[in-house]
Amino acid sequence: MEGMKVYNLKLGMWVFLLSEVMFFSSLIGAYIILRFAHPEQWAEPNHVLNVPLTGFNTFMLICSSVTMVKAFAAIEHGDQAGLRKWLIATIILGAAFVGIQVYEYIKLAGHGFVPVAASYAAEGGPLYGTTFYTMTGFHGAHVTIGVLALIFTAVKAFRGKYSATDYGGVEIMGLYWHFVDLVWIILFTIVYLI
Amino acid sequence: MSTVPIEVGHPSVQHWAEPGHADDRSFLRKYVFSTDHKVIGCQFLFMSLFFLLVGGALAMFIRWQLGWPGTPVPGGAFLGEAKAPGGIILPEFYNSLVTMHGTFMIFFAIMPLLVGVFGNWLIPLHVGAADMAFPRLNMASFWTAVPAGLIMLASFFVTGGASAAGWTSYAPLSAVPEYSGVYMGQKLWCISLIVLGFASLMGAVNYITTIVNMRAPGMTWMRLPLPIWALFITAILVLLAIPVLTGALIMLLFDQTIGTTFFLPPDGGQPLMWQHLFWYFGHPEVYILILPAMGIASEVLSNGSRKPIFGYRFMVYAIVAIAFLGWIVWGHHMFQSGMNPYLGATFMTSTMIIAVPSAIKVFNWLGTLYRGNIHFHTPMLNAIAFVAMFVIGGLSGVFMASTPVDIYIHDTYFIVAHIHYVLFGGSLFAIFAGIYFWYPKFFGRMMNPVLGKIHFVLTFVFYNLVFFPMHNLGLDGMMRRIYDPNQYEFLQPLQPMNTLISVSALLLGAAQLIFMFNFLWSLRRGKKAPSNPWNANSLEWTLPSPPPHGNFATMPTVYRGPYEYSSPGRDVDYWPQSEPPDGRRGGGREGVRA
Amino acid sequence: MAEEHAHAVGAKKPNYYLVWLYLLILTIAEVGVAFVSHLPDTWLILILLFLAVWKAALVAMYYMHLKFEPPRLVVMVLAPIPLAILITLTVVMMEIR
Repeated sequence: MEGMKVYNLKLGMWVFLLSEVMFFSSLIGAYIILRFAHPEQWAEPNHVLNVPLTGFNTFMLICSSVTMVKAFAAIEHGDQAGLRKWLIATIILGAAFVGIQVYEYIKLAGHGFVPVAASYAAEGGPLYGTTFYTMTGFHGAHVTIGVLALIFTAVKAFRGKYSATDYGGVEIMGLYWHFVDLVWIILFTIVYLI
Repeated sequence: MSTVPIEVGHPSVQHWAEPGHADDRSFLRKYVFSTDHKVIGCQFLFMSLFFLLVGGALAMFIRWQLGWPGTPVPGGAFLGEAKAPGGIILPEFYNSLVTMHGTFMIFFAIMPLLVGVFGNWLIPLHVGAADMAFPRLNMASFWTAVPAGLIMLASFFVTGGASAAGWTSYAPLSAVPEYSGVYMGQKLWCISLIVLGFASLMGAVNYITTIVNMRAPGMTWMRLPLPIWALFITAILVLLAIPVLTGALIMLLFDQTIGTTFFLPPDGGQPLMWQHLFWYFGHPEVYILILPAMGIASEVLSNGSRKPIFGYRFMVYAIVAIAFLGWIVWGHHMFQSGMNPYLGATFMTSTMIIAVPSAIKVFNWLGTLYRGNIHFHTPMLNAIAFVAMFVIGGLSGVFMASTPVDIYIHDTYFIVAHIHYVLFGGSLFAIFAGIYFWYPKFFGRMMNPVLGKIHFVLTFVFYNLVFFPMHNLGLDGMMRRIYDPNQYEFLQPLQPMNTLISVSALLLGAAQLIFMFNFLWSLRRGKKAPSNPWNANSLEWTLPSPPPHGNFATMPTVYRGPYEYSSPGRDVDYWPQSEPPDGRRGGGREGVRA
Repeated sequence: MAEEHAHAVGAKKPNYYLVWLYLLILTIAEVGVAFVSHLPDTWLILILLFLAVWKAALVAMYYMHLKFEPPRLVVMVLAPIPLAILITLTVVMMEIR
């Protein structure tokens, strides 16, 4: 059999992630264009956004990446208990990330920082809210889907469906999860810091 | 520790068909929610032919209005008072017709026909695999495309009618319902295309993985049949271009529904950004619509000329070059948009460079035909028509790429003529060639060759009568989406030509009924197809027609490229890819030497 | 197929906690650069983007095991990055005249 020396499931996941790169590029590209066109609509990030809270959230997502990779390392050696333990930890961290983001959204909306141009009432201009919610919202949606997929993976793990010879499901779950983390690293920098 | 994870579709656990083993899948599993790539290919075929019919019907209405402006359409009462009071098409409805004709033809007819149908039919068979890498994902892809099509169809029946902002949906016309008078329809348009994007994505992931990882032993990259190369590159384009459209559509949908301001100038949004994002997707999309057609034409031309394809490697390099250049030319759709002129010059240059790989392909096709033992069977006729029409469409493309010329003909019927020369004359003729060519393999019966030839001749003649005069209309200044050209005095002399086009268009539409009849009649009454009716070389022709579930009884081994026709020293003029070199049949070069 | 596995598992295992520590330090550095230092905007943006790309590269190389994959996969994965940069750069060019 001719082919790349990577099994199908993993190759397929990588190929899918490439399209995700392009999806987020379109959102980030739009953000850059709009910001170049109307710099006056952006405020100092820490005037509007809660940067320390999001910094903590970033820390949690990075931690969830290390727990995910530990889950993968465990099943690579056939360690079922380790797999389950680390998967649960990843689910908790991921869910906490989503929870904090929702909390942040509610707080921000309370201060008039909303995606709707007509009712925007915070510092800066409506484009700020429009791009902020679209980018972080789609990232949040990816995390949410990731948490659901992690729960699915964990259920399979508790039924003992993975082994040292059959860990493809865990590995591609990890690839997706790390990718979501990677996107957040970029988004955190350009949305919250610059 | 020493084995890799095993999952569905892994080569080592491929489900090879067992001869004589009864297929015990239920009807639903076999024909509706099937994971068999051949069945999914046929499902895509029926779906996209249906939407081809819908798009064609819309074109008939458009031509009626332009041919006989302000007269009632026959059967116009069926359209309802809101769209066509007394059978006379309203300008608002005309806008919807133009928009939906483009949308259906591009996204729901040509694209699924080329990528969905031929991708599914050919990829596993041509590379020598039992099925796609992810059969269930493949099924999901089809069953995601269906609701997308239904949503698009449904938009005709909501209040305000279907989207009327053109298939390009330029913002802010598409973003503010008050501008176009379409409320729900435009949102459904966005949603439908977002859903379709998921379907395309699932297909692309599957195709790339299958082609990269599941080729039979000996099927090296340079032994792949050209349709597979074309579909591989197309899948990469789909994979990387569609998400950009999805992103843009989501922004547009947010502008329409929750009141964001991406494309709305009053709050600082950028309408030009929609054009950039749309055409960043849109130009690769153009190549998504032509590359597989080129692959199919190459296959049929080589087979019909009984000669190896001329310059196989350069055909491959040209496909790759076209796809790469396709990423850096999108600005040529926007010369008139007020974009930075320096950028315009760059885009003009890069666009003209695409003529080079395209010309390589055309000359290689001609080189294939030259001194060939040409068999004028129906697929071959359509493939030759493809080459001729693609040359005309391609040349007018170079013409328009030149910014000064484009300023004159921008948004006129010249553009309409060009797009139809590549999309109908190019893609659709290749699709007909492909359907006539592979129909026996997938339905087990031949299509009627006489009806096929009549259909070809009528289509070819009327097609040229419809679209060639459009070049003249455009040069004379007739605008592209105009409802009634007679409102301008300078366009009134064009009315006889418009009437000629409309008469030809109606006849062109009628000629397609022959194809429909032939297609449906041959399903039951066609001549039984042998396993290799065209004496072709690629792997699928070694299988019975139609191939069994799981395709190959044992994993095939490939010994040579797919275009070894008329090899000297053999008593048959074809040489199947999987025939061992010692030549049990006919004796090849090696056989003679031994 | 077995050789792929040997490639992935047999290679020296990255220390995942060390990578995590790197990421943490880089994040703190980012926040520090952004809010504590008083660099001119251009430098600030360049440094922040550099740090972000560094972090992203760490995640891709170690957590996503890209460093231990066959070179062909790495090439394939990196291929669309120029395209992604292209779209943003060109449209930015359109704004800066």
